[in-house]
Amino acid sequence: MSGIVIYLPQAGGDAGGEPYGDAVTLRLGPGEAARFGRGSATTPVELRLADAAISRLAGEIRVTDDHWQLTNHSATQSYLVENPEGAGEYLRVPPRRAGAPIPFEFSRVVLPTRGSATVAFQVFAPDHVYLDPDGVGGQWGSRTVTAYSLDETATYFLVLVALCEPRLRDESPVAVPTTPQIVERLRGHAAGGRLTARAVSSHIDYLAEEKMRIGDPAGCEPRREARRNGKREAIVGLALRFGLVREEHLALLPPRAGVGAQDRETAG
Amino acid sequence: MQGPGEISGSDPVEPIPRGYRVGGWEVTEPIAAGGWATVHAGRPVGEGPGGDDVALKFLLTEGLAPRQARMVAETARREVEFGRRTRHPRLIRLLDSVVLGEPDHPLLDGAIVLVMERAERSLRNRLDAGVTGAEGARLITEVCEGLAFLHRAGWVHGDLKPDNVLLMADGSVRLSDFGLATELTGTHGYAPPMGTFDYLPPERWKAPLGEQGVRVRPSADIWALGIMIHEVFASGASPFPGATPMSRAAATQEYADGRAPLRMDNAVPPFWRALAADCLAPTHAARAAHTAESLLARIAAARQDTEPEPVEEAGGTTRPTAGRRGRIRAALLAAAVCGAVAAGWSYAVRDGGPAAPAGSREPATASAGTVADAAGRIRVFNTEQRCAGRTDRNPECSLGLAIDPLRPYTIDNVVPTRVWHGDVLAVDCRLPHGVPIIDEVGVGSEEWFRVRLPLGSARSTAWLPAVRTKDRPEIPQCPRPTPVR
Repeated sequence: MSGIVIYLPQAGGDAGGEPYGDAVTLRLGPGEAARFGRGSATTPVELRLADAAISRLAGEIRVTDDHWQLTNHSATQSYLVENPEGAGEYLRVPPRRAGAPIPFEFSRVVLPTRGSATVAFQVFAPDHVYLDPDGVGGQWGSRTVTAYSLDETATYFLVLVALCEPRLRDESPVAVPTTPQIVERLRGHAAGGRLTARAVSSHIDYLAEEKMRIGDPAGCEPRREARRNGKREAIVGLALRFGLVREEHLALLPPRAGVGAQDRETAG
Repeated sequence: MQGPGEISGSDPVEPIPRGYRVGGWEVTEPIAAGGWATVHAGRPVGEGPGGDDVALKFLLTEGLAPRQARMVAETARREVEFGRRTRHPRLIRLLDSVVLGEPDHPLLDGAIVLVMERAERSLRNRLDAGVTGAEGARLITEVCEGLAFLHRAGWVHGDLKPDNVLLMADGSVRLSDFGLATELTGTHGYAPPMGTFDYLPPERWKAPLGEQGVRVRPSADIWALGIMIHEVFASGASPFPGATPMSRAAATQEYADGRAPLRMDNAVPPFWRALAADCLAPTHAARAAHTAESLLARIAAARQDTEPEPVEEAGGTTRPTAGRRGRIRAALLAAAVCGAVAAGWSYAVRDGGPAAPAGSREPATASAGTVADAAGRIRVFNTEQRCAGRTDRNPECSLGLAIDPLRPYTIDNVVPTRVWHGDVLAVDCRLPHGVPIIDEVGVGSEEWFRVRLPLGSARSTAWLPAVRTKDRPEIPQCPRPTPVR
C-alpha cells in the first residue's frame, strides 16, 4: 500500500475559473489525511482552494486501506466525486457526511462555487487490488498474488495493451509504438477513441510511476525523448514478462484498420 | 501452491486419475489445487520396501498461451534448481522432477511434475487447530533453522508464510514452495513481483520493478518470520490490525512510516515478542542486523540462560519453577527435545565406517604451543565460497560449536561462541565417531574435535565437526564424552 496522489491543477480548468495559484501534487500514505478549503491562519489546510465561495475548511481526505474517504465539512453544499472513466459515474457526498468511502481509482472531486463555476481536483488511488485471473474462489487472503494489479477495464490498461500489441502479435520483437501511433491505434475504440496524445502520455506516466513503479532505466538522464522511450520499453518488457498483459487482452483493442492508418500516421 | 498464469476458464482443475504413473510413483489422492498447480499424494509403484509416500505437484501448462506456459516453466525451473542445489532437514526435499509426455491427454501433456517429500499438513492448518506455547516455540525454532540454512546458502525464500511451512508426520518442520526462491548475487536477488499481502515487508510496497523483477533480500524473509512468530503465539492473528489483507497492509505501512506503533498481542510470550519486534523492524536497514542465524543464537542463549532450573532437591523431586521464566524454559526445552528427535534421523548418514573425509592431511603445526598444553591447532574452514572470502565476521557466515558431539547437532546443542572461517582453535583431542555431520556441499563426517573456548565462556571446551576444518592434526583420541545435559 503506497497511498494516494492528489493533484490540483493550476487554474480553475473548466469554465474559465480564475487562476488560483500553482499546481499542487500531494502524496498521502495510509492513515494520512489532508484538509482542503480556502484556509486561513487559524484554519490551516493542506490543499488550498482559493475561491471565495469555498469555506475555510471545506472537507478532508483520509487514506484508508487501499482507498480513501471524503468528509464534507460544509453545512449546505454537496460535493461530487466523479469517475472520469466511468461514463458519467459519480457519487454525491452530502453536507456534513463524515468519511464517505470513495471506490474509484481515479476521482475528480468537484466543489460548487458561485453560479455555474466549479473548483475541482483529482485523486488517484493506485493501490486498488485486483485478484489474479487464476482465482479459484475461497480464501484469497493468504494467497500468493501479483503485487502489481491492474484494472483491466481502465483506460491505462487499454493504452498498455496497445503498447504491447506488436510484441504480443510477434510482429516486432523490439518496436514499441509511439504516442501518436497509440492515439491512432485506439481511434476506433468507444472510450479510448477520444484520447489525446497528452492523455496517452499521462496514462503511460501513471503506469510507470504509480502502478508498476518502474525503476530508473539505468541512471543518467539523457534527452527527455530518450527517457520516455526507455520508460515505454520498460513498461512493455515488464508487462509481458510478468504476465500483466496477455494474448487474450488483444481483444480489448478495436479491430485494426489496416495499413492505411499507419501511412496516415507517419505522414502526420 | 498458487502462482502466476491462468487456466483458461475458471473451472477448478480436474483431478489427476488415481493410479496415474509418474516416474516410479503413482497418484493416490488429491491434496490441493491452486491456479495452475495441483498437488496429489503419491506412493512408490510396485512391491518391496518401496520407500515413503510422496507429494506430486503437477504444474499444468494446458490451455496457456506460450508466454504463460513459459512462466510456469520458469517457476518450476526455480523450484528444481533450488531443490537440486540445497538440501537440509528443514527443507522439503525435492526427490525428482518429471516432464509428462502425453500426446493423447492434453491436460497432462507437457505438465511438469515435482516429486517431493510428503508432509502431513501445513503450519496454517496447525494454527487453525491451536498451538501451545511449547509447541509454538519448537515450530518457530525449526522454521528459523531452515531459514538460517537457506540464507547461509545464499537464497531468499520470498514467500514465507504458514501455508508454505509444512509439518511432517513426526511434527517436524519443513519449509516448502520455492517457486519464488531467489539466489542472491551479492546482497540481493530479484524475484517476480509476487507475494502474499500479509507477509510482505513494508519496503516492498514502494519497491521499484526492474527488468528482472523486484529486489529481494534476506530481510524480507525475516519480516515474514516476525509475522509468523506473532501468528503462532496469538492464535493465527497478524500483529497488524485490520479485517482484510489490504487494511493490514495499510496498517503495516503506517507502522513503517512511524505513524503507528507496533502493538503485539499479550498472548505472545515476552521472549518471542522481543524476537518478533526485531524481525518486524520497520526498515531493511534496521532489520538486517537480525539474521536468522543471530535469531537462532538468541533462542539457544535464552534456553541456556534458563538451564540451571529446575533444581534437583534433596528428596529427588523436581521443584517446578514459577512464572515467566519457567514458561519460556518449558517452551524451549520442548523445542530442544522435539528438534533433536527430528534432526536425529535427518542428519544421520548411512556410512557407519571410519571417517575418512576428503581434505589435506597436515602434521601438527609447529605453533601448537601457543595455547599452553593444547595438543594442536586447527583452522576453521567454511565451505561456502562467499563466507570463506570475507573477514568481517558477518553473523551469516558464522559456524557453530556443539556442546555434546553424541547428541544431534541442533540449536539446543550449540554453545553461544561462534567461529568464522580462518579462525585458529586450540584443540585437545579428536572423537572419531560422533553424530555424523554433512556440510553444505555434501561432504559428511562423524569425526569431531574438542576445542578450547575463550576464557570467560560458560564452558571451557566445545566440539567442532571435522567437516568444518581441512586440518587433521596428529592428536590423541578423546575419551568417550559423558553425555552433557
